[in-house]
Amino acid sequence: MTYRTGAETALRLHNFWQVLTRRGRRVVPAQPAPAVQPAPQAAPPTIEIAPNDPLIAYFQSVTGAVDIQKLDLDSPALRSMKAAGVQTAVPLVSQGELIGLLNLGPRLSSQDYSADDRALLNNLATQAAPALRVAQLVREQQAEAQARERIAQELRVARLIQQTLLPKELPALQGWQIERYYQPAREVGGDFYDFIDLPDGRLGIVVGDVTDKGVPAALVMATTRSIMRAAAPSAASPGQVLAQVNDLLVNDIPPNMFVTCLYAIFDPRTGLLEYANAGHDLPYRRCVEGIQELRATGMPLGLLPGMMYEERTVTLQRGDQVLFYSDGLVEAHNPEREMFSFPRLRELLASRPADGGPALVEFLLNQLTEFTGPGWEQEDDITLVTLHSTAGVADVDVTAGQGERPSGNGVGEWREISAFTVASEPGNERIAMKQVGEALQGYNLSAKRLERLKTAVAEATMNAIEHGNENRAELPVAIQLLASDEAVKVQITDNGGKQIEPNSSVPDLELKLAGEQTPRGWGLFLIQNLVDEMHVISDAAHHTVELILYLQGDRHASQAT
Amino acid sequence: MAPANVSMNVRKVGDTVSIVDIEGEMTATAESALMDAYTAAMSPQTRAVILNFTGLEYMNSSGIGLLVTLLIRVNRQKQRLLAYGLSEHYQHIFELTRLTDAIKLFDSESEAVAAARGA
Repeated sequence: MTYRTGAETALRLHNFWQVLTRRGRRVVPAQPAPAVQPAPQAAPPTIEIAPNDPLIAYFQSVTGAVDIQKLDLDSPALRSMKAAGVQTAVPLVSQGELIGLLNLGPRLSSQDYSADDRALLNNLATQAAPALRVAQLVREQQAEAQARERIAQELRVARLIQQTLLPKELPALQGWQIERYYQPAREVGGDFYDFIDLPDGRLGIVVGDVTDKGVPAALVMATTRSIMRAAAPSAASPGQVLAQVNDLLVNDIPPNMFVTCLYAIFDPRTGLLEYANAGHDLPYRRCVEGIQELRATGMPLGLLPGMMYEERTVTLQRGDQVLFYSDGLVEAHNPEREMFSFPRLRELLASRPADGGPALVEFLLNQLTEFTGPGWEQEDDITLVTLHSTAGVADVDVTAGQGERPSGNGVGEWREISAFTVASEPGNERIAMKQVGEALQGYNLSAKRLERLKTAVAEATMNAIEHGNENRAELPVAIQLLASDEAVKVQITDNGGKQIEPNSSVPDLELKLAGEQTPRGWGLFLIQNLVDEMHVISDAAHHTVELILYLQGDRHASQAT
Repeated sequence: MAPANVSMNVRKVGDTVSIVDIEGEMTATAESALMDAYTAAMSPQTRAVILNFTGLEYMNSSGIGLLVTLLIRVNRQKQRLLAYGLSEHYQHIFELTRLTDAIKLFDSESEAVAAARGA
């Protein structure tokens, strides 16, 4: 705590008493000085009173001047005051609360304070305390008003950034129509969407959501949008765009923030929609077969470098509709605190008449209003983007409907199978094991080798939880599964805290039994011996353990599922 | 620390042999359960302790560390540690860590008990 100067003090009565702030820690800077004339000595020491110091209760219980040198109390603050030469202290108490102290050193005449002196001091304290209290309240109010104004200003800035950067016009596509709806919540969230014109008449469609709210989210949204716009025209596929954006963003984004983002490339001539997804809500396609989720896996942008994004394609048929959206819709609550939810959205899409009625966006908003009831305060930004063929289109060259298939092109030899995170809590390595086991069903791995990989994944995840992320539950351990024709690869990434050096000391049972090594320390040894290859990749911010297991038999036995 | 997800039942087979039935997870959280089970399995006449891994669901490197700690205690008492019921996967891990040198593995309880009595 610093010694308070005049500028910080709301009210001063000469220089011989100081003020205790109400909101700060209970710290009383004491300034013993003669009552008669200004102190000749240098700045007096600061005296701190801890909140649990018995001196506080004592001062609140007494009235009038206290002879400090004669007071006997087991109190660190009292000892400091005595050491600082405080002779007499007069508590300033308002509404039962100690708000300040008048501290006086010895009288210059070296006589004790007289009854008159004390009466004068008591009188002064009685009048000063309420005045001081009022001054404190005024200051608090001013601070609160400033804080409110600052927040309102931030909201205006955030909204301005967001609205400036969102598309003003809808793209015109031959044979297809795009509609959108965007409504920020009062406390602006981080939703965004964008349409990017690509060579050959194709269109990039972006729908994303930045974690966090307000100005920080708006700035990250603006950055993401710019990087996206720069990367989109030259990249070959949506997965490549997301991978590039992720690698650029990861260096610029605050560590606790990330961006979910769906990126799709639509060719209006063929109806081909290629898409990749960085952890965003899955779009829905409504087609003759019913409602389809357009599923592709990938980590949110800005969490970890070197991510790859699964790519999928779907060919839209005449009459199909695709809905891209943000979680503000599905996470809206009604007065009974029920959530709008994915199942409801899906049902609504399925139940909507194929032809006629209002457009999809309007239909969904009507349903949302019906669900939330009147007077609903929107909880989060809501973004809806729909794509559908216009009636009577003759020139849409619809190729044979293949439905969804993994495209796999453009992501190199390794294809992502799945990506997920676990919180850094002991025991969560079991979740990682289970997910890896399930994701690798159907790959050409014997049960025996799959068990070994799962144990290696568990050990690497335990290390990431305990050492890399130091058991901080809020830090995720990211696990990415990839496959090539010859092998499967699991990457386990943490935030690069403490690490165990590989091969630092090879565990030896005999040495352990003889007490020359700790009984523990088997983790890395097991990992190295259970998989075909282990690599460690580290940078300043992350630590990745990469486990590789070769597939057996047919080189082409693996199937992306 | 998360709560232990393991139970350890101790059975005495005659005066000299005790069996510990391990059900659940051998992880760091199993430490007190394992050491308590060993204390319960101990008597002045005890010559061998048999670990029954039939009900083992999961063992990690911390669990292996616990077994090493147990081995040190057992060796100090001049007793022997035996085991049965390990899945093929964990047998492989015992071989990798060379725990098989110190803990003899058997396919069944009767074989383990016979070996322990012969000790």
